[in-house]
Amino acid sequence: MNWPDLSMGGYGFYVWGSYIASLIFIVWEVVSLKQRKKALTQQQQSSKAVSAPVLRGSINETTS
Amino acid sequence: MNLYKYASPATFYPLAGKLIPWFAIPAALLFATGLFVGFFIAPTDFQQGDAYRIIFIHVPAAWMGMFLYVLMAIYAGIGWAFNARLSSMMASSLAITGAMFTAISLITGAFWGKPTWGTWWVWDARMTSTLILLFLYIGFISLQAAIDDARRADRAGAVLALVGVINVPIIYFSVQWWNTLHQGATIRLLQKPTIRGSMLAALLIMLAACWLYSVAVVLIRLRCIILEREQNASRFAEVGV
Amino acid sequence: MLRWIVWRDLMLAWRRRADMLSTVFFFVIVVSLFPLGIGPETQLLRTIAPGVVWVAALLASMLSLGRLFANDYQDGTLEQLLLTPQPLFLVVLGKTLAHWIVAELPLVLIAPLVGVQFDLSGETLWILFVSLLVGTPVLSLIGSVGAALTLGLRGGGVLISLLVLPLYIPALIFGAGAVEASVMGTSPSAHLSLLGAFAIVSLLFSPWATAAALRISLE
Repeated sequence: MNWPDLSMGGYGFYVWGSYIASLIFIVWEVVSLKQRKKALTQQQQSSKAVSAPVLRGSINETTS
Repeated sequence: MNLYKYASPATFYPLAGKLIPWFAIPAALLFATGLFVGFFIAPTDFQQGDAYRIIFIHVPAAWMGMFLYVLMAIYAGIGWAFNARLSSMMASSLAITGAMFTAISLITGAFWGKPTWGTWWVWDARMTSTLILLFLYIGFISLQAAIDDARRADRAGAVLALVGVINVPIIYFSVQWWNTLHQGATIRLLQKPTIRGSMLAALLIMLAACWLYSVAVVLIRLRCIILEREQNASRFAEVGV
Repeated sequence: MLRWIVWRDLMLAWRRRADMLSTVFFFVIVVSLFPLGIGPETQLLRTIAPGVVWVAALLASMLSLGRLFANDYQDGTLEQLLLTPQPLFLVVLGKTLAHWIVAELPLVLIAPLVGVQFDLSGETLWILFVSLLVGTPVLSLIGSVGAALTLGLRGGGVLISLLVLPLYIPALIFGAGAVEASVMGTSPSAHLSLLGAFAIVSLLFSPWATAAALRISLE
């Protein structure tokens, strides 16, 4: 194992730039999905009737 | 065990929920491992110096962009042919992740091109085909976004995806042709460095990480789509449509 | 049946001659914009001419595609056509042929005239004409799939463009490539053969895809 040269032989901007750009995309995707899920479950909570029994993990469960 | 019950969105929903961590956590671990091997173990390339290390994200992203498009077309086709809603929803879910990987591959390709070949954008066959693939994704996503009726959106998307997937080899061939005609000197642009064992290992680990990540993210989005459709359906039911 | 559809569409198009002419004018104007934007240097113009004329043809086709099914859709004729015992494939083929005659053929005929603006030789103008003659059917055929998929949707012309322009790329490459080969003095036959092959493949597959798309859009 060899400790990498952090400046990447002078190409640091390009190498780190690529990885940071990719990371931004991945983070954006995951965060926006989490927000979407949260908004949907909140919507479901407010509109669903309380009476029906709710199976754990099922599509009717509103706590995930 | 009757597996067909999982073809119903409502039944698949909890299964998907349970599966997600089994893909998300290994994905994170493999990303870490792949990057470790790529940066700490793989040696510096003779020709390109350390700039080549971009391939550990560029190449897997490019492959994922292509795989996911084909997978999307297959799911869309199955959803259309067998009237399987879940299959169509899967296709819609795959589209955004596929487009994202294609975009990453284009951007990292530009970052790789600048130090090695001097320009941010190079019209070589691979990059150009990848750009066209992104256009195909955008077309699919736009079409589905423009159609309000879910079933029409599913089926229209299927036709577009299938037409696209059949055209992809033709497009790739024509771009190759175009590229070889217009190349002055025979420079093989964005040529991969001679692959050493550790580089290949890092590449494959990163590819596996991207696959696992894709499965996790697509399942999360699929659950969102299932919820959205079910909410729309119940809203219509309440109104008495 | 096929003849009837083609004749009917041609008659309807004739009553709206202005639409036909506007496509041609658009083509001519777009082509003329490029020298204005780039500069009048003849050598440069000769080099860019193939690409410019072909891209202008693509864009002009995009504009006319909306009309392929929209009018019949709006007055209910399209639904009736779907109900006839005749195969939908034939209906689509007929309408596409009529569209080509009305929207693309004028472009093919006027292209050599427009090519003169770029100082192309007689030989090259001929190749330009041939390439567009062989290639524009592809534009109508593949375009019909896009038109059928987007029937009745908001977003109109732009949406069709997003769907269909990537699929046009092989035609653009082979068609413009043929003309460029002629400009450079080499043989355009390889390009034209590939373009012809692409046209034949489109002819075999597009009407089916369009028919399927029509059924989907009209349900």
